[in-house]
Amino acid sequence: MSEVHQSHTRRRTLPSAIGEPMIWLTGGALVVCLTMIALLVVLVVVNGSASFWPRPIEQVTLEDGQVFLGIATEHEEQTGTTAKRTLYRVGNRDLGQESFRWVDDDTISDIVFPKDAVMLEREAWGVWFGVPESIIRVDDANDVTTIAVGGGAFFDEYATLHTQARRDKLKIEHLKRAELGAINTKIEDLRLKLRQAQIVSERGEGGVVRWSWTLWAVFGVISLALVGLVYQIRHLGTELGSTNARKGKLIRSCATVGVVMLVGAMWVGAPWKGHALNEQELVAMQSLIDSREIELLVEYDQVLEKIRRVEDADKQLRIVVVEPTSGQFSPTSQTLADEHLHMSQVVRLVRANTLTTTGKVGVYFSRWWEYLSTFPREANTEGGVYPVIVGTVLLTLMLTIFVTPLGVIAALYLREYAKQGFITSMIRIAVNNLAGVPSIVYGVFGLGFFCYTVGQYIDTGPSTRSRFDSTQWWMLFVLTGVAMMGGLAIRLWSAPEPGKIASSMNVRMRQLSWVVWTLVFVMCVVLVAKTPYFHGMYEAQAHDGTPTFGARGMLWASLTLALLTLPVVIVATEEAIAAVPNSMRQGSYGCGASKWQTMRRIVLPGALPGILTGAILAMARGAGEVAPLMLVGAVKLNQDLPVSTQAPFLHADRSFMHLGFHIYDLGFQSPDSQAARPLVWTTTLLFLTIVFALNFAAIMIRSKVKARMAGPTV
Amino acid sequence: MTIMESEPKNQPVVRSVAYEPVRNAPVQSYKMIEAIRNGQTPDPTVHKEVIAPDAVIEIEKFNLWYSETKAIHDVSMKVPRGAVTALIGPSGCGKSTLLRSINRMNDLVDGVRVEGSIGLNKSPIYAPSVDVIELRKRLGMVFQKPNPFPMSIFENVVYPLRIDGERRKAVLEEACEKSLKAAAIWDEVKDRLKKSALGLSGGQQQRLCIARAIVADPEVLLLDEPCSALDPVATLKIEELISEISERYTVLIVTHNMQQAARVSDYTAFMYLGRLVEYGPTAKLFQTPKLIETEHYVSGRFG
Repeated sequence: MSEVHQSHTRRRTLPSAIGEPMIWLTGGALVVCLTMIALLVVLVVVNGSASFWPRPIEQVTLEDGQVFLGIATEHEEQTGTTAKRTLYRVGNRDLGQESFRWVDDDTISDIVFPKDAVMLEREAWGVWFGVPESIIRVDDANDVTTIAVGGGAFFDEYATLHTQARRDKLKIEHLKRAELGAINTKIEDLRLKLRQAQIVSERGEGGVVRWSWTLWAVFGVISLALVGLVYQIRHLGTELGSTNARKGKLIRSCATVGVVMLVGAMWVGAPWKGHALNEQELVAMQSLIDSREIELLVEYDQVLEKIRRVEDADKQLRIVVVEPTSGQFSPTSQTLADEHLHMSQVVRLVRANTLTTTGKVGVYFSRWWEYLSTFPREANTEGGVYPVIVGTVLLTLMLTIFVTPLGVIAALYLREYAKQGFITSMIRIAVNNLAGVPSIVYGVFGLGFFCYTVGQYIDTGPSTRSRFDSTQWWMLFVLTGVAMMGGLAIRLWSAPEPGKIASSMNVRMRQLSWVVWTLVFVMCVVLVAKTPYFHGMYEAQAHDGTPTFGARGMLWASLTLALLTLPVVIVATEEAIAAVPNSMRQGSYGCGASKWQTMRRIVLPGALPGILTGAILAMARGAGEVAPLMLVGAVKLNQDLPVSTQAPFLHADRSFMHLGFHIYDLGFQSPDSQAARPLVWTTTLLFLTIVFALNFAAIMIRSKVKARMAGPTV
Repeated sequence: MTIMESEPKNQPVVRSVAYEPVRNAPVQSYKMIEAIRNGQTPDPTVHKEVIAPDAVIEIEKFNLWYSETKAIHDVSMKVPRGAVTALIGPSGCGKSTLLRSINRMNDLVDGVRVEGSIGLNKSPIYAPSVDVIELRKRLGMVFQKPNPFPMSIFENVVYPLRIDGERRKAVLEEACEKSLKAAAIWDEVKDRLKKSALGLSGGQQQRLCIARAIVADPEVLLLDEPCSALDPVATLKIEELISEISERYTVLIVTHNMQQAARVSDYTAFMYLGRLVEYGPTAKLFQTPKLIETEHYVSGRFG
């Protein structure tokens, strides 16, 4: 007892035993992190949400007698080279001035807020500051009727007339975009059809023996029956090979290989594919298409006429807003400087100095709505970001749809089927390293492989030089089938007898099967890459020099991002699968379930929340990537959305706009950086919100799944 | 109402307390155990009652290696039809391994090698022509720790039928009810069949696992220490259940608990370090064993 006591009194208290400094240190680190994140969010939210708030219009008189209207957007304190100054947005670019202007504060002699001053947000040439004078109607004979003059009357009439004018404008837009667009597409389709027929006719059948529908149907039935029969034979064994099981497996697999080959052959001789037309047929087709085209052109003219009528009515109504100093009014356009602005060209008229708070809120939200729902104008510095939002959301969804199944299946194989050993650990390390590859590298890969290799293959098939002739190709085709079956047999018989461990013979056979399978893979790639029978799906377009999939586009961008986020999904899925207790698997095997049944019924459902976590992480990562998109598909401006109401609805070949790229474009590529600056913040806020919303939706789905899976905890 | 049963983490081996353990046991008299410890495989003592009967499982000179380690040495025994046979022995004596060899669960472990044969109703289960999946469907297995699947009670019970592709609702429901009744848990769960099985108590979960194991009418029921993770009340229920279902099924049970073996089984095999030591009717083995080792082991004096 006394010894214990003594030794106790002798002990010192080490500094490391005193915990307080560590609490301060660790807690402090957390505080720093949280502060930064909070700061980021607050900065984006504050700046992003402020940019649409209407601010008063100032009439500034300078000491040298100059007078101008404008909105103060930024104040700057005195620096070494500049005095204390203010940045005014003065608009009125039509007058040949910059739309922003720095003014030293000590040169200002007077500032007033004129009640009638308005800011016109116009469809083109930016904003116009001025005082509204009148609304006039100019008829066809150039006779002018005045509808309203002076402040009160002007504003009374303006509201209803403007709504009507904008409605007409939208109608014109719709006619142009939808109806003219549809007719154009139809004409283009006809032209391409003819072009395709001409190309096929020039080429001839190229050694392809076309099967009749009867022959094709007979082969189809045979292959289906074969598969059905083989899979119907019971007791052909399953996993963990006994001889019997092996035989069954081999028969099934060989039948599958056979059927796949049969289908391949059937596809080459497909009866539905276009036959090569002869001269006469071509002429007949040409005349048919010509007459159809004429019908369409008539239709086109009718629509044009309709548009012209609305436009004629529309351009009668003019609005006169005068810049007070020069007395200049806002013109229709730069080239028509002596014509008054059309009413329909006004997006919004803000009488900023007399707005009540409610009025300001109204303007604020109407600007937000315009921002979210319309196409960009003026090199993206005005208008909305609707196509950008669509592009971003669609890209994110598509990448998630691509990456999740692929990653999950790969992870399943890696964790459940593959024998854990050196090779699997190497693959794991490689996958993890893939996550660390700079994202621009994926962009380069996507451009080089997806766009220019796979895309061009889809468009035009293999290049003429690299095609096999048909004898070579069919020989390789049969050889591949034989090698596949051989590989299967070797692999199956390389498994040791039940209850025995693998002999060196077994091991050698397994290694041989690897070699054979690698060979088969290469042969398959060669078969596809050198086929003489595939001439692309967009041959006619390619002949015209417009690639379809052989260029940057939505599909390739989403695939590139899928590749980029693949490691995230694989790692998360593997962890989720590993976290399913082994006792569950054992229980399932004990019930006589096969490996796949166990995976499908026990492992996958159990791992589902973890898999969804992986998908969410992938989505979050992919949504925020910009660098690779610059190479594989994001563009500054694309009026054609990647989705439309015209078949095939999802146009995965189109390039698209993306919020991340849009922010970069606004900030650094904009012709009017001062005008774009507030939009950078707003777009950032929007981007942040969308990514949060997508993640939030995914998390909600996951928690639903989780709640359904787990029982009440005991 | 759910009976809340605690699950002891470290289950102590419950030994018979009727005998005072003799601290200085005459070690030199354990001839057989000594021989086994020296790596020999002496012939086991097998009572005549278990040599003749109609056997479901016939184990013939069975050896098993985990990679280099030999876990079972030359075990030969017949498991009589329609009775409960218990495998007892100290930890690591190969009882569970032997049990799991019968439905070839050991195939799932890397590096397992076997020699000798096991026959199920005269057909050798390690023959190359045997399909493991089919084999496992002929045997029901219950594990040490209750392992209900994270799905509803109903789905848990009919799982073996589902994987056989049975989809008819009526068939599934009938089988479910029948087997839950046989497992003496029907009254407790009949109102909550659609609820998650994870909400049941440990004892209920284990009875559910038994229901799952018997739903497809197996030829033999293999129980791998089914009570070792349960409290005494739940254990008692399971034991009663074993006695009941033994009327219909042949049961092979591995247990650490000598009393349990004595209570539920008709025949008992005592194993030590992968060898069969003594095998005979339970009553004889516990009351008049032929070997001093067996007597001392069942009375808790060694092991």
